Amino acid sequence: MNIRGNIHKVVNIRDLTESTYVLRMEKKGLKFVAGQNLNIGIAGDTERRDYSIYSAENDDYLEILVKEVKDGLVSKRLRKLKAGEELDVDGPFGFFTIKEESRQAGKFLFIASGSGIAPFHSFARSYQKLDFKLIHGIRHSNEAYEREHYPEGQYVSCVTGDNNGDFKGRVTEYLRLNPPDNNTLCYLCGNVNMIYDAFDILKEKGLPSENLFAEVYF
Amino acid sequence: MTRRIAFKTLGCRLNQFETDSLVSQFRKAGYDIVGFGKEADVYIVNTCTVTNQSDKKSRQETNKASRQKRDAVLVVTGCMATNKREELEKEHKITYVVDNEHKNDIFHLVDSHFKGEIISQEELKADRFGFEPISKGLHTRNLIKIQDGCDNFCTFCIVPFVRGRAASRPWKDIKENIEKVLEYGYKEIVITGVNIGRYNTDGMNFEDLIEKILDIPGDFRVRISSIEPEGFGEKLFNLFGHPKLSPHLHLCIQSGSDKILMKMRRTYTVDDFRQMVNKIRSRIPDFNFTTDLMVGFPGETEEDFQLSLAAAEEFGFSHIHTFKYSVRKGTRAERMPDQIPEKIKTERSVVVRELAEKLKNQYRRSFIGKKQKVLVEKIDNQGIASGYGENYVPVKFQSGDQTRVNGFETVEITGIENGEDPDLIGKL
Repeated sequence: MNIRGNIHKVVNIRDLTESTYVLRMEKKGLKFVAGQNLNIGIAGDTERRDYSIYSAENDDYLEILVKEVKDGLVSKRLRKLKAGEELDVDGPFGFFTIKEESRQAGKFLFIASGSGIAPFHSFARSYQKLDFKLIHGIRHSNEAYEREHYPEGQYVSCVTGDNNGDFKGRVTEYLRLNPPDNNTLCYLCGNVNMIYDAFDILKEKGLPSENLFAEVYF
Repeated sequence: MTRRIAFKTLGCRLNQFETDSLVSQFRKAGYDIVGFGKEADVYIVNTCTVTNQSDKKSRQETNKASRQKRDAVLVVTGCMATNKREELEKEHKITYVVDNEHKNDIFHLVDSHFKGEIISQEELKADRFGFEPISKGLHTRNLIKIQDGCDNFCTFCIVPFVRGRAASRPWKDIKENIEKVLEYGYKEIVITGVNIGRYNTDGMNFEDLIEKILDIPGDFRVRISSIEPEGFGEKLFNLFGHPKLSPHLHLCIQSGSDKILMKMRRTYTVDDFRQMVNKIRSRIPDFNFTTDLMVGFPGETEEDFQLSLAAAEEFGFSHIHTFKYSVRKGTRAERMPDQIPEKIKTERSVVVRELAEKLKNQYRRSFIGKKQKVLVEKIDNQGIASGYGENYVPVKFQSGDQTRVNGFETVEITGIENGEDPDLIGKL
């Protein structure tokens, strides 16, 4: 009963930086909830990886945001695919989603590091009226992936490697200086250390643990 | 000619349920059920693959069965069979390899075999909920399968790859199954599945399901078996006040370190776990929590390990199923750095076992002077009855005139045995 999915053809690949790209593929009627992920491999290959869905629930295509991993067996090969080549796609999986009732009335803080921005892109594009702020931890300001896709003033880049970000420093430093209200629903996605440190800060600031949601990237 | 059949089950309660159902089916068809060490015409090994150790044991039992009687039919099924099907199919000593999806139809396979018709797995009916209600299995408690599969994809876990996507059994089938086993005379049902807290179908979640099960008329009790600390809330906490619902949960913590929990891709923190335990214990102070605790997950430092020990002490688990992390091919943790040396894993598991023994003793001792409603499982020739109380504590007592196997007795706990796994001693 090994988990294997359906064939989806590559539509195109959009380069964002030297090492990061958006892979667009056929949707083929796959229904998902923003925040969920897909298990993807090249058709016929045994190596597979999980990627959060970057596109919106109602887009007529699927997109994932991929950062190439040094010596990675999948991320580098996906980038070389051409339109029409086939992917084996399974899913959607995962519970890093927003309940409908919270969507209407909730106030959200999205905290991402690197390519952990992907599910937030899907949230923002799927739920146009969502009251959110997104803080994005990156090394260089050119990694503010498609920041123009977010409403003016709702995206904050926290940049450690140059002075061109909205905030100079880590997301955790930003959080210490700009803590959210205690009723904010905080969604965190990215590497485990960032999430762990951010959890500590948010809890110190008095946010109840039921307001914290995390999706760890490895 | 009456055929003899022997079963071996490894791993979880879900496997136990599935074996029990097969036992029931073969028994009804006139087969004689014999112990696994005895000579039989058919051996069924229901395997597990959750750790390297489980694989090893599954192989050992398969080999043992193949040595018992050379011309016996040997069926290997379960999670290891699903995970390593191609490899096992090459072994001539195994007659059939059946994956989890087709396990429910093993009777058809064996029956056809003896009629001279060799059928392949693909010809069997694939139905994860197609198991017959257990009329007479191997246990006093009747396991009820409500769910199968898991979509959590914890980074260490092979289960989603061998049990498939999460699926919930419809209420109508569950109700019929429970009513049937109550009719057979069972007094305790155990709710089982791979990730039962994620039960969700026809607008019913896990808490709604338990509420409906408790509403079924009859003199029986309900035990929730292994559950992840997620997917339930106030409603379930309140249901624990219901007289039919046993005050016991096997709530899997896995680690007491938030950092390790995140790396495992668990969906709760230690504080979330604490809140669940405290909410339940504030209503039922002697509530029994048992757990799974993994040692040696990649990156687990001595500090992380100490946090696990502290959590175990704090939550007062009466039983800890501890196991060493082992690499499962295809899982995310396989590719994680900082794999822990085997020697350290072994040392840590020894420490957990010692602590677990102490906590078990403390917990059981706390029942001295209290009463337990014991479901009697057996009465020996000295008239000593034994069974489990509602808190899932083992109790022994001198039986009375009315004491019957599979009957309830209210027992006053007066003492405790010595040893690693002591029974409570009681009197009527």
